Amino acid sequence: MVTPVLMIAIPLLAAFLMPLIKKAHRYFTFSILLLNAILSVLLFAKVYNDGAIYETIAGFSPPVGIYLAVDNLSALLALIINLFATINFVTSKKDFKFSMLYLLGVTGATGIVLTGDIFNMFVFFEITAVASYALVASKKDEKAVEGSIKYMILGSVGSSFMLIGIAIIYSQLKSLNLYDIAARISSMDPKMMWLSFSFLLTGIGVEAELFPLNGWVPDAYEGASSNIASFLSFGPSKASIYAIARLLIIFSMSRTYELALYVGIATLLIGEVAAFMQKNEKRMLAYSSIGQMGLILIAFSLIKDTSYAIPAAFFIIVSHASAKSSLFLISGKKGFGGITSKYVGLAGVLSLIGMPPMAGFWGKWYLLMGIADEKMWAVAAVIIFSAVIEAIYFARYLHKNLGEGESEDLGYSIPAAVMVSVSIVMGILPLIYNMAGGVLNA
Amino acid sequence: MMWPEYITVAALISIGLYGVMAKKNLMKIFIALSLMETGVNLLLITIGYIPGGTAPIENGNFAKYVDPLPQALVLTAIVIGLSVTALALTLLIWYHSKTGTLEYRRGMRW
Repeated sequence: MVTPVLMIAIPLLAAFLMPLIKKAHRYFTFSILLLNAILSVLLFAKVYNDGAIYETIAGFSPPVGIYLAVDNLSALLALIINLFATINFVTSKKDFKFSMLYLLGVTGATGIVLTGDIFNMFVFFEITAVASYALVASKKDEKAVEGSIKYMILGSVGSSFMLIGIAIIYSQLKSLNLYDIAARISSMDPKMMWLSFSFLLTGIGVEAELFPLNGWVPDAYEGASSNIASFLSFGPSKASIYAIARLLIIFSMSRTYELALYVGIATLLIGEVAAFMQKNEKRMLAYSSIGQMGLILIAFSLIKDTSYAIPAAFFIIVSHASAKSSLFLISGKKGFGGITSKYVGLAGVLSLIGMPPMAGFWGKWYLLMGIADEKMWAVAAVIIFSAVIEAIYFARYLHKNLGEGESEDLGYSIPAAVMVSVSIVMGILPLIYNMAGGVLNA
Repeated sequence: MMWPEYITVAALISIGLYGVMAKKNLMKIFIALSLMETGVNLLLITIGYIPGGTAPIENGNFAKYVDPLPQALVLTAIVIGLSVTALALTLLIWYHSKTGTLEYRRGMRW
């Protein structure tokens, strides 16, 4: 009996029980996260077999009550977030307050992908955002506090904008339910529709690291401790880019997709060029994250045109969540000192630049296939250009780090190795699947 | 239409945005953020307001009452705003103890 509401309720309850369990808080948090990851596997299996789940909360039926809506992609995203959160938590060495904030952050990110109500989504955004501000600052040195303050200022403005967008939708349709809104969106005044879409895109875009709302990204990632930088790159950012995808499907207009495509291209180019020019390693990884978020947004903006869009976005999300998070995790030490971090660095970089046996390759492959179907050669050129820049600065990164380095901290590099292996597995599985399909067809 | 309310909303949000963008002092920036949140809350309340309506409390003899949902939303938004402000002030104290100033110095650095 798996219901999506457990995946939100359990970590939320556990977070507030934390002050009672001061001593064993790390084992407690880890087991809760593991339980959540197992639940998300079961949930995905159920959704995959039986189709989408719509779960009503507190007995009020949909247009009035709040409900959770889970389809294949959101179950997979919840799985990615909870799985990586479990692996990443192994590296935590802080006190129970840190565990509490971490659980709240995971709750919020899971809630964003599972909810079917737009105000509910806003509340989960705030939960994960407030937890992330505090987690970034938890290193307590000057850079961490500065990064956190910057993140907080932009994030608060973004959440106000999101609330304005929700208010405009509510004033027009008197509804907060995502599917109800999607069904009746065409009865809205087009001007109001554009106004609310722009406010929502701006508001969520801050968390999703879209250009030009991503001024906080390099500072927060540079200031945060390495496991929190890793958390930020698979948790809040992935959940919010998925929220944007839902938004695009709701406001299903060709012009909104076009706007998202342009924002994605701008984010991709600016992110990659800024990463290319960076000297500081953590900032370079942060800018490269921005570029990858642009790539995911480009994939989502093609949802209506091509069936390749969703697999493309999914594989880029997996590749980025696993590879970039593991690179951030080992970024605490200078250079790749031991064999484990060498493996992590190589596999992560290969997946990010899209080399064949990795998940990143399938992402770029499906994306380019989709673009070729649509004959948008300019977009294809931009993506290939950015891939070249990416390859150059990652080659520089490897060259600098693969030689001598500080001796590695296995407490960090082994979880990182597990994370990056997800990228390899997800890269090889489609190959086997395709070959098996080929054999069966022949 | 309730123009005075909407003008107040627009004014509060613009003053807030101006404060966030133009001020260097972090305390002033956080005050501006609170102003903005107040503006957004006022917008929600205004949307749910019906002229002449009473409070939406079930007592058997009301004819016209204001929309209760935006009020619930505003209640949530106020709580969120409170927690963000509390965290912001904590961070401000840390920032002051690390740097000895409340001015934000580095600004947008690429």
